[in-house]
Amino acid sequence: MSAQSQLQEILRKGRIEAVRDSIGRLTRRPEMGSFLGLVIVYVIFAIFGGRVFLGSAGWSSWLNMAAEVGIIALPVGLLMIAGLLDISVGAILPASSLTVAIISGHYEFPAYFGIAGGLAVGVIVGFINGLLVTRTKIPSLIITIGTMFGVMGLTLGFTILIAGSTGVFIVPDTVTKSLLGVALGGMFQIGIFWWVGFVIVIYYLLHLNPWGNWVFALGGDRDSARDAGIPTRKLIMQLYMLSGFAAAFVGVTQVVTFGSAQVAAGSSFIFNSIMCAVIGGVTLTGGAGSVIGIVFGTITFAIVNQGIFFSGFDPNFGSIIIGALLLTAVLSNDKFRALALSYAARKK
Amino acid sequence: MKNIKKILLAATVGAAFAASGFVATAQADGAKIFVIGGKADDPFWSIVKRGAEDAGKVVEAQGGTVTWLAPQNYDNLGVDAAELIRQAIAQGATAVVAPDWVPDAMDPAFKAVADAKIPFVVYNAGGIEAADRLGAMNYVGAVDYLGGVAGGEYLGKAGGKSGVCINSLPGAANIEAYCKGFGEGITKTGGKSDTLPLPATAEGNVTAVAQAIKAYLLQHADVDSVFTTANLDAIGAVQGIAQAGLTGKVKVCGVNFDTGILAQIDSGAQACAIDQQGYQQGFYAVSILNGYVNYGLSIATREILTGPGVVDAKNIKATLVGAKQGTR
Repeated sequence: MSAQSQLQEILRKGRIEAVRDSIGRLTRRPEMGSFLGLVIVYVIFAIFGGRVFLGSAGWSSWLNMAAEVGIIALPVGLLMIAGLLDISVGAILPASSLTVAIISGHYEFPAYFGIAGGLAVGVIVGFINGLLVTRTKIPSLIITIGTMFGVMGLTLGFTILIAGSTGVFIVPDTVTKSLLGVALGGMFQIGIFWWVGFVIVIYYLLHLNPWGNWVFALGGDRDSARDAGIPTRKLIMQLYMLSGFAAAFVGVTQVVTFGSAQVAAGSSFIFNSIMCAVIGGVTLTGGAGSVIGIVFGTITFAIVNQGIFFSGFDPNFGSIIIGALLLTAVLSNDKFRALALSYAARKK
Repeated sequence: MKNIKKILLAATVGAAFAASGFVATAQADGAKIFVIGGKADDPFWSIVKRGAEDAGKVVEAQGGTVTWLAPQNYDNLGVDAAELIRQAIAQGATAVVAPDWVPDAMDPAFKAVADAKIPFVVYNAGGIEAADRLGAMNYVGAVDYLGGVAGGEYLGKAGGKSGVCINSLPGAANIEAYCKGFGEGITKTGGKSDTLPLPATAEGNVTAVAQAIKAYLLQHADVDSVFTTANLDAIGAVQGIAQAGLTGKVKVCGVNFDTGILAQIDSGAQACAIDQQGYQQGFYAVSILNGYVNYGLSIATREILTGPGVVDAKNIKATLVGAKQGTR
């Protein structure tokens, strides 16, 4: 055999190995667990949910829910990767909705004015969260619980003071409605596309930008990250402002979609966003997670939540299925992570 | 310095005498009615308070006073409200109006009112059972169960054959009572009903509520009537119906309202809202006691039901006016 053909043979083998290797790596990626979970959950509900669940009504149903919780779960997931939590998102959402409804509904200022106000509320609360987390030694869980109650109180107080009611309505103009609150085909809410936008931006930030490495480093060990020259304070402030902005954004889309803002809204987004991130493979201890994983986790969560109503399951037991899903997801994620780690170790 | 202190002391003593003198004359002339209620910044209770104050105008014209006592917060409601009842006795009330929110904590305080031979009315919570048990003159308020019945009958008479009650707080007694009532109301008019419990993950999420109702309606094509027990659920129901392509085919009726709900009724998206009419609770409870203390008058009807009142297309305009003025 000539040297050249020998070389070609080696290259060919190498290519096959590379392909086999990348498939292997794919199955051992941490996201694989959440992707498998998604497929299993979809198949189960497809069997019990029937044709309506498989059709556009079913897809729109879980996509609409996934889009909203997904927009919040992304930055909450980033915070968790960085080893932090944000409970205040549950209070920012109604605060933002009511700001929009009061400015543009009650006082009848132009919609962009109200929307700017609503988003500003989120960014400001995020700024305060970041300030408190970086300037004190109090755990972020406690700080954001505190700001959550503070924001809740301010929302209730000011809404009653200004509007004299716990709900404020607004009739959005057609441009605003078509950008933020329209339902395409009568059922696919525009928020789904905004969610895709958020996914692209945050994917870029976390995985294709050095900034993302800082976030992982922060979750690994905050002190070492700072010693390595990462501007940890600035980074934490940015992360909280991002999650505040995202929660406020969902608040804006809700008030435009439904034409009404309610003081009693938002609380379930706290646990739901954390759950989506965890199902998607983000660890509570920080340092691990991915945007694709969070997206899978969010979709899985939404399918289970909406699937219950399409299936013949007794909705009284709905919460059991949600709880079981969460635990199964975490267990299988751990399994896949262990698999990925052991494989990487063996290769060395 | 000493002189200033003396002057101040004299002024305080003088003021105290003046105040007590004023109270004494007020007591002699008219009823001194103490009303225990919710916080004034609570949207529902601000309406009840408004009713009590409007009735208070007559009380004042006849030389009496109406005093509103409310807890600072709702964290320890039963104990705090019982304390307020005792405060009313201590301040020389000649009549007391109070809700029986937490019977275990509050009944001893009500007994103290009865022992002091002070006439009292139970309102808003507790029902006629509480009034009978405690020896109150009357009960003024609504019954949750009857509110549900009214909603069921309304939708049944509007042509509803199959209804669903949205329960976003499974386990809460008042919501269960509303749903049970709704079922009986719609059954009375020849329909049937079911309950849709929502998981905790949908709490406060209007999109999740809308999507749940949409899914339920698509899987249960015969359902033509939706009954909600919270404002947020009514907003979500209207959107869920629209997304299921069933606008006009499925009607919504809900318990309670705010300006957002009234806008929905005004636009025709929501058929009706059930109201316990808090203004009436404050107004009638105070009026009954004022008439009794001043002139020995009484109302022979036991259990004055202030609800269910129905807000629909017929009275929406007047309701909107009332909402602006703080009476609804």
